[in-house]
Amino acid sequence: MTQASSAVERARQSNRKVALVALSMALGMLGLGYASVPLYRIFCQVTGYGGTTKRVDEAQAASIKDSGRTMSVRFDANTARNMPWEFKPLQVKDTVSIGVRDMALFWARNDSDKTVTGTASFNVEPEQAAKYFNKIQCFCFTEQTLQPGEEVRMPVLYYIDPAILDDPDNKDVEEITLSYTFHLTSVGDAKTLDQNSTGG
Amino acid sequence: MKSGTNASAVSQSVKALGISLASVLAVAATPAFAQDAASAPAAAATEAVAGSYTPMKPTPGVGMPVPEGIGLQDQYSKLGEYGAWIHNGVLLPIITVICLLVLALLIIVVLRYNRRANPVASKTSHNTLIEVIWTLVPVLILIGIAVPSIDLIAKQYKPAPKGALTIKVTGNQWFWTYGYPDNGDFEVVSNMLNPVTGPTINNGIRKVGSEPWDGPSHLEVDNRMVVPAGEPIRLQITASDVIHSFAVPSLWFKLDAVPGRINEKVLMIDKPGVYYGQCSELCGAKHGYMPIAVEALPRDKYNAWVMTHPGAKVDNPNAPAGSETDYLPGEEPAGAAPAADASAAPAAVEAE
Amino acid sequence: MATTAEHFQGHAEDHGHDHDHKPAFFARWFMSTNHKDIGTMYLIFAIFAGVIGGAVSGIMRLELAEPGIQYLGFFSQLVGDDPSNFNATLHMWNVLITAHGLIMVFFMVMPAIIGGFGNWFVPLMIGAPDMAFPRMNNVSFWLTVAGFCSLMFSAFVPGGTGMGAGTGWTVYAPLSTSGSPGPAVDFGIFALHLAGAGSIMGAINFITTIFNMRAPGMTMHKMPLFVWSVLVTAFLLLLSLPVLAAAITMLLTDRNFGTTFFDASGGGDPVLYQHLFWFFGHPEVYIMILPGFGIISQIISTFSKKPVFGYLGMAYAMVAIGVVGFIVWAHHMYATGLSVNTKMYFTAATMVIAVPTGIKIFSWIATMWGGSIEFKSPMVWAIGFIFLFTVGGVTGVVLANGGVDDVLHDTYYVVAHFHYVLSLGAVTALFAGFYYWFPKMSGKMHSELLAHLHFWVFFVGVNMIFFPMHFLGLQGMPRRYPDYAEAFAYWNHFATVGYMIMAASMGIWFVNIIYAFAAGRKAEDNYWGEGATTLEWTLSSPPPYHQFETLPVIEETAHH
Repeated sequence: MTQASSAVERARQSNRKVALVALSMALGMLGLGYASVPLYRIFCQVTGYGGTTKRVDEAQAASIKDSGRTMSVRFDANTARNMPWEFKPLQVKDTVSIGVRDMALFWARNDSDKTVTGTASFNVEPEQAAKYFNKIQCFCFTEQTLQPGEEVRMPVLYYIDPAILDDPDNKDVEEITLSYTFHLTSVGDAKTLDQNSTGG
Repeated sequence: MKSGTNASAVSQSVKALGISLASVLAVAATPAFAQDAASAPAAAATEAVAGSYTPMKPTPGVGMPVPEGIGLQDQYSKLGEYGAWIHNGVLLPIITVICLLVLALLIIVVLRYNRRANPVASKTSHNTLIEVIWTLVPVLILIGIAVPSIDLIAKQYKPAPKGALTIKVTGNQWFWTYGYPDNGDFEVVSNMLNPVTGPTINNGIRKVGSEPWDGPSHLEVDNRMVVPAGEPIRLQITASDVIHSFAVPSLWFKLDAVPGRINEKVLMIDKPGVYYGQCSELCGAKHGYMPIAVEALPRDKYNAWVMTHPGAKVDNPNAPAGSETDYLPGEEPAGAAPAADASAAPAAVEAE
Repeated sequence: MATTAEHFQGHAEDHGHDHDHKPAFFARWFMSTNHKDIGTMYLIFAIFAGVIGGAVSGIMRLELAEPGIQYLGFFSQLVGDDPSNFNATLHMWNVLITAHGLIMVFFMVMPAIIGGFGNWFVPLMIGAPDMAFPRMNNVSFWLTVAGFCSLMFSAFVPGGTGMGAGTGWTVYAPLSTSGSPGPAVDFGIFALHLAGAGSIMGAINFITTIFNMRAPGMTMHKMPLFVWSVLVTAFLLLLSLPVLAAAITMLLTDRNFGTTFFDASGGGDPVLYQHLFWFFGHPEVYIMILPGFGIISQIISTFSKKPVFGYLGMAYAMVAIGVVGFIVWAHHMYATGLSVNTKMYFTAATMVIAVPTGIKIFSWIATMWGGSIEFKSPMVWAIGFIFLFTVGGVTGVVLANGGVDDVLHDTYYVVAHFHYVLSLGAVTALFAGFYYWFPKMSGKMHSELLAHLHFWVFFVGVNMIFFPMHFLGLQGMPRRYPDYAEAFAYWNHFATVGYMIMAASMGIWFVNIIYAFAAGRKAEDNYWGEGATTLEWTLSSPPPYHQFETLPVIEETAHH
């Protein structure tokens, strides 16, 4: 009898062990599900996946060399439906020297009678060019706040990495488009906290 | 039925661009049309410049589904012809043969190995040779399919050539807007035409000037997306609210409109015509009522259409379209001052 | 369905087995820990949910019979919409497609094939007295029921444009977040949480049972293929459902607590939701079909009176399908703007799945080859399955091609494809399993004549519904449309007629069930004869309340 009951007990323990392993696999996948958000963001930033541009500081930008070649860059601006701003690029496109820093200007106006804070998401098309698109300074790095009726010109300081010329995936790319979409972050007084948003 | 929702949602951009639905309709093929348009209260007819446009009549069976049709729509792009060949010439025969083979084997089994025909079952349960064959043969077939299939994908992703016209497509609940940044950045708002018998679904208007404006049910729109035929066009697609999908079956084109980003793909239409499509990603209540009508015109007629819009401009068709402005590298942003000009006449943002 | 319960009770009492004492009604059916009782409850629940999900598709086919909007207004009024609000009327369509998808996936196919047949026959086939965690088994079932209630409830609360959740079963952001204010989508998401939690518990239970509770001599490589299929399925559930849970929880916080996981305005990406959803969603389709593969293997072997051809190949083909199923998800997202390399990879990876699937099809045919086949009703359903699944499978190969998908994505071609593999595949397998095991479960024989008739009417009906959908898709008719261009009218009307035929076949099925309980003759232990060699056939029909108290010993010669 005791033998039998200890066998039952052993079986029970063994079941528990298998179940715990299975449960931890499930929890692991649950964690992976959540972790996918930051992992995806990092993946996009590193590989340019989804048209994510690179962000560089002055020091990195200083080391860049003029390749002597040019490329066309197009600028595109959108607003989300609930965003009461007018937002557009001040140049449809620009011919830039690859490896030389350049600046593009965007213009925005708050058409509402309230103070509105917005954040810009962005991407580059064709996607494979994104990882060579480096931004030194951009209005999309922080939230932007406009008073009622206020207009503003917003710069983007960027350069295209000459390494793009050696990438077979980019050999046919004649024109790169940099697109921004302004989203409503908050209405009313601006938040004092500027967060570094990296966008989609 | 809130018929004003669509218009108000884009009212800012429409207002700022100085155009309206009516001004697109103000396209004057004849002086009579122009007068009609001018009498419309919202029309900015006085701003209409030298341009003309008469909407093309769709050809039944071209660029639209055909009644009782069972195959792909006829294709009007090179990629579409290639894709249709892969489907009709490679995939369809292969899958038909596979289905028939399985059916034939089942019939043979049923006839030969039923209890009456074969009272004693064999006990065979292994045959390495045949198992290797039915693993390897499908692999070879799949490789055969993959070769043209991968090639098609590669061709679809070929970037637009230098100077290709860029058209901006924006999905909204529940209509499309088409922007023409290379032609003065005017915008066209495109609503489905309401069915003749009702109900009133949106503010799609069934007239151009005084002429009745009609097309296939559920597919025709008040203002079409007009494009030049025979040249590669860079379509940039986004959405202002939820995900939509810009799809035209006869042009082998489908790309999602995702809010917060643009997607880009090249469209090249072989010949002039009207090609219909429908939103292909569930986007809410009127998902079924935001069709796409692409009207491809020869370059000169396209240019004439462009010039019916206030502030529009056309470049030499052989040269890259659009304006270019160089700012000096390192130039400091100049505050808000000059922006007043831009806001005054933003229809053509030519910061020269 | 109380008849079922009474029947089981009555039958067992007749036997008067001393050890077979059962708890009283409430304790037996509401606090059940018996795998067979829980299996029965799952089956009854699945039938109930299937009737509702099928009725929803009936409303859809009714509306689609003609172009224009005819009946939606009436049905939207039933859930409390204002009939003069046309947007709410149209929203009702989206509620219907959402409900149909979620009910059929989470509350019909999964409960029936895993909860029902899995619970009933996995312990019997491996010679175990019960599942490893009988109480957790009960919790799994009631969580599924609670999930279903939450989903039903969601139809009667505001979901944005109208009553109910109209997001599609995929619940894509931002339509499901900023696009659907109101609590309906929250209740829909909660339904998925509950059903998902129930399924994860079920998966843990199956894995433990199969790994630990096999009878002496029942090695992994001797397990019946149905057990293999449930094992692979349990792993798929275990690894994919938590990802869905994470994704929909993030949707929930995006909706209610201001997070921006999938909202571009805060640095999120709506496309990431699709990646997460389909990382779950693709394995999910194998979750629905793999146990069906297992059932078909048992049936083909039984009625051919032959062991399964290439047993190991069959078992590992399922493992391969399960593994590859995790690395092909983005083929559901070809139109989202994937990069060229991504699209090429997913095209190639997806096509790989055709290889193990082909092995299964050919192995089933080879099992029949040389056999002495008896065309009893389960066998007829199984042969029908092989053909219908082949048709659904080959259109999957077409859709796998990223470049071709550009014209077929989100059209009726896709609807036709997944209904051929699921509605005509998984459901046909369910009916095959039902007729195979119903007498074992109930102790009463069904009418073979009605079962055959059921098959043929069903076969004609579903093919009439879904085959023309290939034509509609090729012609460009998009999915999820309540209304369509005149050109699509012919085949839509045809499909609606097919629906009526299919509905009639369901009537035959219900008559057959009533017949079996009212007048069916008593089922013997092994009513299919010599071909049926798995352990459940060594037991009485129905099996005793507690079986295998002395574990059976599987000899060298015994087999699958």
